Amino acid sequence: MSDLNAQAVAKYRNNFLKEVEACVEEGDWVKMCIQCGVCSGSCPFGPDWEHPPQELFMMIRAGKREEVLTSSSMWMCTSCYNCIVRCPREIPITHIMHGLANYAHRLGLAPKNQPTRHFSALFWNNIIKTGRVNELKLSLGLYFRDGFVSGIKVGLTMASVGLGMVMAKRLNPIELLKPHGCKDTKGIHAMLKKAREIEDRRKGLTAA
Amino acid sequence: MTEVVATNQTILVVGGGISGMTAALEAAECGKDVVLLEKNPALGGRVSQLYRYFPKLCHPTCGLEINLRRLKGSRRIRTLTMAEVTGITGQKGDYTVSVKLSPRYVNENCTACGECGKAVTAEIPNAFNYNLNKIKAAYIPNAMAYPMRYVLDPSIIGTPEADKAKAACKYDAIDLDMKEETIQIKAGAVVWATGWQPYDAAKIQPYGYDRFANVITSVEFERLADPHGPTGGKILRPSDGKEAKNVAFIQCAGSRDENHLRHCSRICCMASLKQTNYVTEKFGDEGKSTIYYIDIRAIDRFEDFYQKVKANPNVKFIKSKVAKIVEDEKTGNPICHGVDTEGYHRYATEHDLVVLAIGMAPSVPAGMIPMDIVADSSGFIQLDEANGGLFGAGCATNALDVNRAVQSATASALRAIQVVNQVARAEA
Amino acid sequence: MADQKIAAYVCQGCGLGERLDTKALAQIAKTDGKAHLVREHAFLCNADGVATIQKDIEEGVTHIAIAACSRRAKTEAFYFPAVAMSRANLREGVIWVRPIGDEHQETTQEMAQDYVRMACAEAKKLVQPEGSTTAERNNTVLVVGGGITGMTAALEASKTGYQVVLVEKTGQLGGWAGQLWKRVAFKEPFADPADTGVEAMIAAIQTDKNIKVYLNATIAKTDGAPGRFMIDIATESGSVSQEHVGAIVQASGFTLYDMEKLPELGGGKSPHVVDQAGLEVLAKRAAGGAIKRADGSEVKTVVFVQCAGQRDETGKHLSYCSGTCCNTSIKQAMYFKDQNPDVDTVVIYDDLRTPGNGEDFYRSAQRKGVTFTKGKVSSVEANGSGLKVVFNDLILGDQNATIDTDLVVLATGQVPNSGVNIDPSKLETETEAAAEFKQISILNLNYRQGPDVPQLKQGFVDSHFICFPYESRRTGIYPAGPVRRPMDIAQAMEDATGATMKAIQAIENAAVGRAAHPRSGDLSFPIVRIEGCTQCKRCTVECPFGAIDENEKGYPVFNESRCRRCGTCMGACPVRVISFENYSVDSVGSQIKAVDIPDEFQEKPRILILACENDAYPALDMAGMNRNTYSAYVRVIPVRCLGSVNLIWVTDALNSGYDGVMMMGCKHGDNYQCHFVKGSEIASQRLSKIDDTLKSLNLEPERVQNFEVAIADIERVPQLINDYAAKIQEIGMSPFKF
Repeated sequence: MSDLNAQAVAKYRNNFLKEVEACVEEGDWVKMCIQCGVCSGSCPFGPDWEHPPQELFMMIRAGKREEVLTSSSMWMCTSCYNCIVRCPREIPITHIMHGLANYAHRLGLAPKNQPTRHFSALFWNNIIKTGRVNELKLSLGLYFRDGFVSGIKVGLTMASVGLGMVMAKRLNPIELLKPHGCKDTKGIHAMLKKAREIEDRRKGLTAA
Repeated sequence: MTEVVATNQTILVVGGGISGMTAALEAAECGKDVVLLEKNPALGGRVSQLYRYFPKLCHPTCGLEINLRRLKGSRRIRTLTMAEVTGITGQKGDYTVSVKLSPRYVNENCTACGECGKAVTAEIPNAFNYNLNKIKAAYIPNAMAYPMRYVLDPSIIGTPEADKAKAACKYDAIDLDMKEETIQIKAGAVVWATGWQPYDAAKIQPYGYDRFANVITSVEFERLADPHGPTGGKILRPSDGKEAKNVAFIQCAGSRDENHLRHCSRICCMASLKQTNYVTEKFGDEGKSTIYYIDIRAIDRFEDFYQKVKANPNVKFIKSKVAKIVEDEKTGNPICHGVDTEGYHRYATEHDLVVLAIGMAPSVPAGMIPMDIVADSSGFIQLDEANGGLFGAGCATNALDVNRAVQSATASALRAIQVVNQVARAEA
Repeated sequence: MADQKIAAYVCQGCGLGERLDTKALAQIAKTDGKAHLVREHAFLCNADGVATIQKDIEEGVTHIAIAACSRRAKTEAFYFPAVAMSRANLREGVIWVRPIGDEHQETTQEMAQDYVRMACAEAKKLVQPEGSTTAERNNTVLVVGGGITGMTAALEASKTGYQVVLVEKTGQLGGWAGQLWKRVAFKEPFADPADTGVEAMIAAIQTDKNIKVYLNATIAKTDGAPGRFMIDIATESGSVSQEHVGAIVQASGFTLYDMEKLPELGGGKSPHVVDQAGLEVLAKRAAGGAIKRADGSEVKTVVFVQCAGQRDETGKHLSYCSGTCCNTSIKQAMYFKDQNPDVDTVVIYDDLRTPGNGEDFYRSAQRKGVTFTKGKVSSVEANGSGLKVVFNDLILGDQNATIDTDLVVLATGQVPNSGVNIDPSKLETETEAAAEFKQISILNLNYRQGPDVPQLKQGFVDSHFICFPYESRRTGIYPAGPVRRPMDIAQAMEDATGATMKAIQAIENAAVGRAAHPRSGDLSFPIVRIEGCTQCKRCTVECPFGAIDENEKGYPVFNESRCRRCGTCMGACPVRVISFENYSVDSVGSQIKAVDIPDEFQEKPRILILACENDAYPALDMAGMNRNTYSAYVRVIPVRCLGSVNLIWVTDALNSGYDGVMMMGCKHGDNYQCHFVKGSEIASQRLSKIDDTLKSLNLEPERVQNFEVAIADIERVPQLINDYAAKIQEIGMSPFKF
C-alpha cells in the first residue's frame, strides 16, 4: 500500500464517499446522483465500461473503495461531455471521472496496464518536461509501450499517417533529437510544484 | 353580450378548466356571484382533452357533464369565453380587472346546426387535438363544448370564406363585424385557475420530438386513444398511420431536470401507467408497453393501480432515463438507447412509437400575471398573505392530478368567499 | 290538475323543418299529446321564439313541451323556471341519428312523433317544485378531530363567518402535527424542515369566539340531517353535552401502521428500531441538539427503511403507498445532518416519491449529504449495541448488502381513522391493524345504514375521488385529511379548507331545501304516500346516501337534506309510493305508454331505452352530433340514474307490446362510475331478478338487457343499439301487441 493510500484509508476509515468528496475533483457531486443512468447510456464508449458512471457513484456511496479505485472504468472517459449535458442533476460527471482516475493514479491503485492511464502518464511526463508536447516522442512512447517488436509493428501501420503529417509540416523528425520547449521551463516546473502543493493541502494529503 | 354586472362582492375566476369550473361552482352554490373567464372558446380545459382518468379509467367528460349541468342550472355564474385578463388594479376586496374579449364572430343565436361548417372549405389545425388533424375554420371546439356555439377562426375574417359562413347561417348568428374589446370587471376576490401546459418537448434534444414523427407527447397520445380524436380512437402512429402496438413511455420528459423543469410533475407516472391500458385495450396481448422510469411515483392509493399494471405481462418496466432516441430510417421506428440501472444492462430497443411523459409547466407563470405574486421557482402560485385577494387554484399552484386540483380549487373558493363575506360585512 | 294548461312547441330550425313533417308533429301534439296550445316555430330558440313561449306562460300556460333539440342544448334560451317543462329531442335524438333518404322517412317521422307524444305525456305529469317547507338553517360546523386538519377547518369556518364546535378525543389539540419536531418544507426554496405552526394555531383557536372546543371528548351520537344535526358529545368525565350543528367536517386523521407487525424489520424487537413517530419523539427530546437513542447514546449512523409494511404484495400489510413517508424520512434525515453533518444517514427506498416541489426537498437532502440507496430491506437485526440492516441493493445487484447502524427508522404508513366499516365485504381482511381501528365508530350516526361514512376497500372514505373528492356518501358530512387518502400537513390543510367550503355550502343548501351535488339546486325531494307503504324496507336499505331512516313501526323516514335526489328509493319501491314532483313512476311510465306501438304485422319493433342522463344520454347525443346513425325503432327516455328505474316500467313496456328494453347505466364495482355510487349496481341486481318475470310472461330473456355505457361511447352506443335491434328482429315480434 502506498503511503498516500495508507494515509487516506486511515483518515476516512470506511467512509469512502467522504474521501471522494474531499479528495476527488468535483467529488462533492457524487451524492447528488439519482441513479437515472442517462450518463451511462449517453457515453459513446458505453459497452466498454465495466462500471458506468452512475454505477460508480453508487459504489462510492456503498463504500466499495477498492473496487472503484482499481477499476479501469473511469479511464474510459473521453471528455465528450454528453453525460454532463444530459444529467438531470447537472452533475459534472466528466470531471468526476477524471478526478477519480487521477486520484486512483496518485494512490497507486490504478490498473497498471490501463492504456489510457499509460497514455496520460506519457503525455503528462512529456509535457511537463519542456512545457510543450513533443508529439513525436509521445507517439513513439505509445507505440513502444509493449516492447520493441510490437512498437515496430505499430509504427509501421502508422507510417503513412506519420509521413503525411511530416509532409503537412505537422510533425518534425528533428524534434526527436532536439525538442524545443517553451521560454521558461523552470517557471513551468515551479508553477506545477506550487499547484500540487495547493491541491494536496486542499485535499488534506501530504506528498510522500 | 359584454354587459357584466359585477361588484366587489363578486368572485372572478380566471380559467374554465376543471379547477376554475369547480371554484366557480362551489362558490356559486354557496350563494355567491361569480364571473368565470376562459381564454378558449369553450370551457373544459385540459382534462376535457384526456381520454380516460387514472386510476378509475373513467372518462373526464363524465365529470364535465355534471359540472356543465351544474353550471347551466346556476344563475349566479356569468361565463365569458375567449376572455383574457390583461390588467388587475386595486386590492383585496376591491379589484378592477381588465378583460380582453376576442371576437368569436358568432353570437348567441347559434344553434350549432353545423351549416356554416359545411359551407366553409378553409381548414385550420385542430387545437383541441393538439394540432394532430385539421378542422374547418368554422368549428365547434369539441363535442362537449360549452357554450355549444360555433367559432370562426380569425384567419378567414375578411375573406370569401367568412362570407360563405355568413351566407349559410339561417339564424343570423354570424356577425363578421365583431371586434376585440376590453371590459372592466369589479371583483372582491380573484381565483386564478389558469392551469398547466405541457413542457415544450422539442427542448429535450436527445429525444428528437421535433425530428422524429413517431416521438409524441403523452397529451397527444390521449387524443389518439380518444374516439373524438384525430384517429377516431385508433392508436395509429403519425409517420405512416400504422397501428402502434409496441409503445415506449419515457418518464420525466422535462421533469425533475435542472435543464428543464426542476419539479416533479407528479402526474406523468400515473398517466403512462394509464396509457399502457390503452395499448392493451386496443390491441390485447399484441399490445406491448415499456415504461422507462427513474422512480415510479404512484403515490397513495394509486399504488394499487401500479401493481395491477405491473401484473400485466405485456408491460415492461426499465429503471432508466433514456439517453437518446434514434430513428430507423427505413421503418421510421424510434430506437431507445440507454442503460437499465438495476444491475447495469445496456439496451437499444426498437418501438413503433415513443410517448414522452411530458412535464407540467404553469400555463401562465406567476411572473406573467399582471400583479405581484408570490410564487415558487417554477412559477406556480403559492398561498401567501402578500397575494391579497388573489388565490391560485389547481395546476396554477402546483403540478397536480385531478383530485388534488379539485381539492385546491374548492379550498380557493372558500378563501375567495372569505374575502367577499368580509366586504359584505363591512358594507352591511 | 284542473287548471293545467299545456303548450307544445315544435321547432323547424336546424333542419327539423326539412327532415320532418312538423305539421304532422304539431297535429300529434294536439290530438295524442292533448296539448291545449300548439305552435310551430321556424327558430324556437331565438329571441322571438323564447318571447313567444314567455308570453304564453304569462297568459296562463302551466306546462310546456318543447320539441326541438336535446335537453342538454340551448339551456339558456329554454329557461322557464315558472313552469314544468319537457323536451322532445328531435335533433340529436332523431334527425342527426337517422340517415337521409325516402326509404328512412317513414320510420324517422314515427320516431319524432313518438318523442312528441312522450314529451307531452311527461309534461303533464310534472310539477315544478317549490322546495321543501322543512328547510332549516344552522350556521354551526361540527369539526371532529383537533389535529392539523380539524384546526384548519375550524379556523377557516370561523374566518368565513360561521360558528364551530370542535371535538377532540385527546386532552390537547394538535394531533399528529403536534407530535412533530418540524414539518416538511412547504415553501420556496423547499430546502429545510419548517416549524409546524401548531402552537400558533392552538392559540388562534383558543382566542376565537366562534370556536367552541371540547377536549377529551368523542361523538356519542349524531342524529338528524344537514341543517339540523343533533350531536351528543361524551366527555371523559362521563357528562354528555348536546350541540346543534348544520354540517360536519370529519377530520379524524390516521394512525401509523403498527411496526410490531414487522418483526423482521426489528419492529418491537429493539428499542433502537423506531417508527417515524418514535423518531419525532427523539428529535423533540434533543430539541436541536444531538439526537440520542433510547439508551442515551448519540446516534452516529441512522438508516431509514421506506415502505415498511406498505406497498405490500403479500397481502399481509398495507397495499397502498402513504405518499408522505419519503418526504418525512428526508426531513428526519435532515434533523441529523443539520445538527451534525458527520452523522451517516442512509435512506433505503424502492421508488423515491417526492412529487411536485418535493423534488427540491430531495435535492436539498442530497446536498446535505443524505445517502439514498435503491434497495429492499430484508431484515434488521441486533448487532452488538447497534443494528445490522440487510438489504438487496437493486442497483449494485448485491442481494445481501449490509449496513451497520445505531438506529433504524421504519417508514410505516397511514391507516385512516375512518370508524366502522359498514360494508365489511370490502374490508381488506388481512390488514388486521386497519380492522382494529374500525371497531370504534367516529360519528356514531343514528342512521339506518350504520354509524359511519362508507369506505373504500382500503378503509379510506368513499367518494368520487377524482372529480368530486369531497362528495362522501353522507350528505353534509365531509371527511378531510388523511381519513380521505394518505396526506401530509400541507395537503391536509388544503383539504380541510376545501371540506369546510363544502360544509358551509351544505348549510346554505339545507337552509333553502336545495339538493347537494350532483343534482345541485334541485328543489324536488321524495314524496311518499305513506298509507300505501308495506314496510318492505327496500328504500331504506338501498339508498346510496343513507338518507332514509325507519321509524319504530318500520316505515321509512325521509331526511330531505340528506337526500341527493337520485331516485333509487323510487326505483326500489315495489308498491310505487315514492315519487318526486319533477320525476316520478308516472312521469316516466306515461312516456312509455305514450309511444305508439305498431301492430305485429307491420314488423316494426319498438325498443325502449332507459338511459342514464349523466353518461349514456350524453353519449347518445354526441353520437348524433357525430352523425352516427342508429335504428329508428328505439325510444330513449333519460333517467336520473339507473337506480331510479322501477321495474314496473319494464314490465309495463313489455306488457304494452315493446319488443325489447335496453337499460344503459354506468360501470359499477370497485371503479364505479355511477354518480350516485350505487345506483347502477343496484339496478343490475334488480334486473338479475327479472328473468322470472320474463318467464311468467313467456318472453325470451334477451328482451330485457342491461348495458354498461360510458359517456365516451359515441361509436359503441349506436353499435349496441343496432346489434340489439338486429337481435330483436331475429327473436321476432313481441306477442303482446294489440
